[in-house]
Amino acid sequence: MRKGEYLGNFDLMLLLALLRLGEDAYGVTIAQELEEQTGREVVVASVYATLERLQDRGLVTSRLGDSTPERGGRAKRYFRITGAGIREVRDARRSLMNLWKGLPELKGENA
Amino acid sequence: MTPNQPPRIATWMLKHFGSGANNDAVLGDLAEQYQKKASAIWYWRQAMKAIPVSFVRDIRGNKWGAARTLLVGWCMWIVGGMLVFPLVFGGTNVGFAFDPNDPIGSFWSFMWMPALGSASIHPDGPWTTPLSFLTAIVLPLIVGWMCGMLVGRWHIVGQRNPFGIRVEQVRRDHQTAAVLLFAGSILLTYLLLIAPWVMIVGNSVAYLLAGLLMANIAGSVLGIVIGGGLLRDREKQKSMIEP
Repeated sequence: MRKGEYLGNFDLMLLLALLRLGEDAYGVTIAQELEEQTGREVVVASVYATLERLQDRGLVTSRLGDSTPERGGRAKRYFRITGAGIREVRDARRSLMNLWKGLPELKGENA
Repeated sequence: MTPNQPPRIATWMLKHFGSGANNDAVLGDLAEQYQKKASAIWYWRQAMKAIPVSFVRDIRGNKWGAARTLLVGWCMWIVGGMLVFPLVFGGTNVGFAFDPNDPIGSFWSFMWMPALGSASIHPDGPWTTPLSFLTAIVLPLIVGWMCGMLVGRWHIVGQRNPFGIRVEQVRRDHQTAAVLLFAGSILLTYLLLIAPWVMIVGNSVAYLLAGLLMANIAGSVLGIVIGGGLLRDREKQKSMIEP
């Protein structure tokens, strides 16, 4: 990972989705997972654009999978988080938790 | 059960104008999700957002390639334009008024030489004849086609598979974004030149020549897109194998 580069909000959400999905993480399942958890529509192309960038940084790997008729014969691309990716998520969590601590405005749901 | 067919035009647009190595995977994912959602609006929204998203990602990830594209494309555009645009007008610089003291005026007269040149052949009008429209479209189409082809070819990337065979699987990865970037730069330049041109020639002349200028712009962009190979069948290209 390039020095001084932080994970963005969407980067972090994608890495967490990959962790939750395990071996079954490809465009459709990732987008569905994010939509279920956030309640917002996800642009599938944004998922790929972000994952490509994370792959360049060595935080995820990908492989081509099988294709089905309902996909128009196009292969799925499966993604998986790497060890560096998991470390990055842990670091991000620790940093965010430190920033969260001692903020009374964020304690209640109505804040 | 036969799968539902997603909207064909949206699929065609994404297939030809979407860039990046994962464009096929995106198309497959959208087709798969369409079977569950069955919403054409949703599909169109996803496909139309995918084109700029993949374009920006490709350009940002390949900044030097993008700069090279613009440099090569514009050099070719100026050389090609200087050679082709005056050719039809008997080798004269009809419609092209170069003035070192007026670089913007010189530039727009060069860019719009096909439109303005074909209009100035008949100084008393009518300017908007079928022939002048044809000239205004065909000349920039030829130059655009040449430039698009050069820009597209510049981005053919070959890779060797584990058996050492050169495979052009990533041939279009950056090609689409490069061609779209160059076409966009030409289109933007035309649009930026409209305001100073209208101020110089006046509203009435601008109104009379508007159709020819639009034909000039359309010919340029279409030529680049065709020359850049964006309208060719992607599936066929992908299976090309070089010894």
